[in-house]
Amino acid sequence: MLPVNWHKALLLFLWITPHVLLGVLAAILWKRRLYREFPFFLAFVLYEIAEFMLLFALYYILGVNLEQNGYAYAFSVTQMISIALCFGVIDEVSKDLFRESQFLKVAARRSLMCVTGLLLVMGVLLAVYAPGDNSAKWYAGVFVVNRGAAMVQSGLLLSLLLFSRFLGLSWRRPAFGIALGLGVLTSVDLATYALRAEFTSTVGGEFLNLLITGAYLVCVSIWIGYLRAPELEPAASLAIVPHDEVETWNTELQHLLRD
Amino acid sequence: MEHGASTLAQGLISQALIATWTLVAVAFFALVILVYVAIRNRTRRVDLEGTVQAFRSLDIEAFRNLVDSAEEAFLRDNLPPKKFREIKRQRAWAAFLYAWEAGRAATALAKVGQAAQRSLDPEIAASGVQVAENAFRLRLQTVRVSLRLLTEVLLPGLSSRSLPSLADQYERAAETLFHLGGFPSGVHGLARSKSA
Repeated sequence: MLPVNWHKALLLFLWITPHVLLGVLAAILWKRRLYREFPFFLAFVLYEIAEFMLLFALYYILGVNLEQNGYAYAFSVTQMISIALCFGVIDEVSKDLFRESQFLKVAARRSLMCVTGLLLVMGVLLAVYAPGDNSAKWYAGVFVVNRGAAMVQSGLLLSLLLFSRFLGLSWRRPAFGIALGLGVLTSVDLATYALRAEFTSTVGGEFLNLLITGAYLVCVSIWIGYLRAPELEPAASLAIVPHDEVETWNTELQHLLRD
Repeated sequence: MEHGASTLAQGLISQALIATWTLVAVAFFALVILVYVAIRNRTRRVDLEGTVQAFRSLDIEAFRNLVDSAEEAFLRDNLPPKKFREIKRQRAWAAFLYAWEAGRAATALAKVGQAAQRSLDPEIAASGVQVAENAFRLRLQTVRVSLRLLTEVLLPGLSSRSLPSLADQYERAAETLFHLGGFPSGVHGLARSKSA
């Protein structure tokens, strides 16, 4: 009996805490006026809080039984909206990353669209060739959709991070924090939804619930950490360069150009 | 018939299991990369000295010589085919290494440019924009050139067109970097903008 209670207590803690912290995050976004640059992210945060309130109320009124009551339907519908908002946040983050370069606004975003197309094709192929649990349970299909979405989102965020590293693009702290947190969340989502689509046992599902809610707590903590922190000054190393080194730089580049 | 159906079903199940565990592995790999990027991002610095060193290590004329089509035509006319392919492979590999290093220098240059871009001094900020734009172009150009040079390493018999644009991009980037460095007051301007 005791382990079951501990499991439930832990699950409730991991379910409630991130959403309380999301409230704190919304306050930070408002206070630092970051909603002007990341309106989709603010909408996503507020939506996640509202979604939690609805699902939590349903959980207490109806109990969690995936097959027999409206909780699963509500979860599935709200999840689809959350996925759509998440794509909006990724778009917002990528716009912020390429904001300073006119050249990259065109070139990089075109490349990113190719990556998105490729990931979508992979997601569809995966849904066709690995459609999940063969039983008639409809929510296995929802997990397959979630798995595909998590794959595309995780792939996009990873591409953004690697692309910026490859080009030497500087992230602003809030955008980097949002991308990092979302990257962690979608990666864990990818693994858990892949497992849930295939294995629909109750015990496994409970363990995966803990994993997802735990990852969500980590993700919200990352967001708060990065959005509260002051912007790093990337020009710091330029300031400590003495004049003679700048002169050496001039001389060396002149020499290089005249070679 | 029944046996065949059960074999097919088992095949599909194992295929689905492989897909599932592959996705779990991919997700884990993505998490590792994210953690790595987050840690590296915490210690980021614009390494001006490193950028200068990277630029110093590149000899643009040597690169031009290596990818010169007239030089290649001369070698083709005066060397036996086997020797020509051997020499061409070596030249392409050397040019590839140059392009690779130019790409790395471009990444560092982009960081310097972006740092300057945030200066309060409009002149430095404008130069920073130019440096960063040229660096981004150079970086993407080096990828295309590297791929082409690798093809030449693998298939030296193919005739290649000249590769002047990478050299031009490099020169343009170096020139704007030089202009940025040519503002002695610019460094002070950046220092002021940070302390503000």
